[in-house]
Amino acid sequence: MIDRRSFSRLLSLGALALASGLGLGGAAAADTVKVGIIGPFSGPFALQGKNFQAGVEAWLAQNGKSVDGHDIEIVYRDLPTANPQQSRALAQELIVRDKVQYLGGVYFTPDAMAITPLLKQGNVPLVIFNAATSAIMTSSPLVVRTSFTTAQTTTPLGKAAVDRGVKKFVSVVSDYGPGVDAEAAFKKAITAAGGEVVESIRMPLNTTEFSPIMQRVRDAGAQGVFAFLPSGPPTLGFVKSFNDTGLKQSGVKLFATGDLTQESDLPALGEAASGMITSFHYAVSHDSDVNRKFVAAAEKALGDPAQLSFPAVGAYDGMHVIARMIAATGGKQDAEKAVEAVKGLAWESPRGPVKIDPETRHITETIYLREVAKDAKGHWINKEIQRFPEQKDPGLAK
Amino acid sequence: MTRQAPDSAAAARPMRSLGRDSVGVALVAIAGLAGYWLFPDNLSFLTRMISVALLVLSLDLVVGYCGIASLGQAALYGAGAYAAGIACLAGVTEPFLLILIGAAAGGVTGLLMGTIMLRAHGLPQLVLSIAIVQLLHEAANKAYSVTGGSDGLSGMAPAPLFGIFEFDLWGRTAYLFGLALLVIVFVALKLLVRSPFGMVCRGLKQDPLRVSALGISAFPVLLRMFLISGAVAGTGGALGAIATQVVGLDSVSFELSANALVMLVLGGLGNLYGALIGTVVFMAVEHIVAAFNPFHWLTLVGGLLVAIVLFAPRGLSGSIDEAARILMRGKRRTAP
Repeated sequence: MIDRRSFSRLLSLGALALASGLGLGGAAAADTVKVGIIGPFSGPFALQGKNFQAGVEAWLAQNGKSVDGHDIEIVYRDLPTANPQQSRALAQELIVRDKVQYLGGVYFTPDAMAITPLLKQGNVPLVIFNAATSAIMTSSPLVVRTSFTTAQTTTPLGKAAVDRGVKKFVSVVSDYGPGVDAEAAFKKAITAAGGEVVESIRMPLNTTEFSPIMQRVRDAGAQGVFAFLPSGPPTLGFVKSFNDTGLKQSGVKLFATGDLTQESDLPALGEAASGMITSFHYAVSHDSDVNRKFVAAAEKALGDPAQLSFPAVGAYDGMHVIARMIAATGGKQDAEKAVEAVKGLAWESPRGPVKIDPETRHITETIYLREVAKDAKGHWINKEIQRFPEQKDPGLAK
Repeated sequence: MTRQAPDSAAAARPMRSLGRDSVGVALVAIAGLAGYWLFPDNLSFLTRMISVALLVLSLDLVVGYCGIASLGQAALYGAGAYAAGIACLAGVTEPFLLILIGAAAGGVTGLLMGTIMLRAHGLPQLVLSIAIVQLLHEAANKAYSVTGGSDGLSGMAPAPLFGIFEFDLWGRTAYLFGLALLVIVFVALKLLVRSPFGMVCRGLKQDPLRVSALGISAFPVLLRMFLISGAVAGTGGALGAIATQVVGLDSVSFELSANALVMLVLGGLGNLYGALIGTVVFMAVEHIVAAFNPFHWLTLVGGLLVAIVLFAPRGLSGSIDEAARILMRGKRRTAP
């Protein structure tokens, strides 16, 4: 019995000692600022994590690996799916053992919520590259976000739809947090613009057969459908079903947020999504020099250009914010001063002009109305057709 | 209850095994304290390890001691986590009370789960366990206003332990609190599996026909084990909720259930030490490999698991037993 216990303990101790050894090996030289990035780098959401990494690497490739002589060292930590316990453990280790001065990344809302209670004690700001629920911003004054919220991207759709003469809507969303948020935001927006939602359908998250839903849309006699589903295979099935059941041919318009037509899904969606109208904060095809340079650098970091999509731009701008924080604090650890320094910070992002709202610390940005179309080379893109500048998060603006 | 054959065999050397168990428990406590001194910067992770260890222990009670295959144990863990989380948000912030609430919720869920699962045997039973955890997962997702759905339940602030020690960034309080819980639960379970009740459960696993011939009805015995198992898993869940201050849907997921079973098989079924060894080794290896290479670590862990199942089919504790037996050849046979 004694053998068994001590052996197993030795085994694990040895293994953990190895880990702390690794941690020490990378410990700070004279003036190195460490940045811990938590994201889904493996598992079903690995593509989003790879985009985080591509955004970070693109920024480093363009701006160098130091700010005002302070070297930046990135420490990546993998969190494959939403898992708040593991998220807290990773953040705690990054702060206490690896001594990071900044935390970044975070794809899922619960993971962000698990980190925010640590920030004040750890004296570390968190720059969120994705997690998109409004409430995160109010959970700690040391959080800054460079992505978007579902309400922010959905709201302009209401006016855009009514402008196109589509007023009578059925909303179809996946039955989970972001889906319910999107449903509420769209209903508010379309009602404000003078339209209406005649029926709200919530479908289970793993629905694969959509024709009964299409039938309900037809029965409701709607002119338009607002849809929100997680990106990936369900979206493909939904769009295909929308076409196959003849709804598209009968003139019903499909509106959605850009989550549905993220660039990495477009090759598979292809012809089926042609003409679909979405609203979002970033399209890879955005026409600006800053974006062209960003896309070139990010594609190089990714290896496969077809995989580039929106999380990369959140990470790229997140690095811009972190760099400004490092410059403002002279490389010293001072979370409050760092966050104070970026309040109101405005710059030209690959997505267009953006600004950190001084009150909410969430990004103020242009939301674009886009149409799925082919570019000159025959690739499917989200073609920007209308802009709604300076959109704040309606979920936070009270 | 009549005395059974295995019980009297065990009674032949009661003092010896009692002494051995005290040494074992002391070693668990010492190893835990050593973890506190050796890895002061990893306490959050070590606390998570304890929380999961409680889940794996509870699974061992059902799978290892009763022979009931389950891939839904996280239903009980999640019930405890959500109950503690909801209670904490409702204003019950005393940590000990939260643990009790978690254990009670886990126990009640265990009763329900047992009532359903014990209607079937073998594969249908396994399928039922998966169905139950999926149902609870969906219920937690749907009950958005109570559980926070996929955004998770957050914002809970447990009161300081004994009114003094706060659950803070460094996680010392949470870890020592968790370690104390683990040791108490471990001692209780050691007594439980050595009791006549524990022996009946083992008997039911090995030969249900013979046990029923002795006039013992299987259902109430197994149901009682489900209740206890649920309380242990619920304790683990509540500890996780207190330490993390967020409860997510992952705590009531099939993935967590399956991972717990992997850890148990890795450590060795039907052996409480095996459950602890499996958890510590699996999570430590996973953590280290993931930090070493955050992009391709899953492949490495998968390869390791295949190797262990191929070369150590009885789990790590079984292999250690084997090694000890070879070393002490000629001496007494070690008990499983």
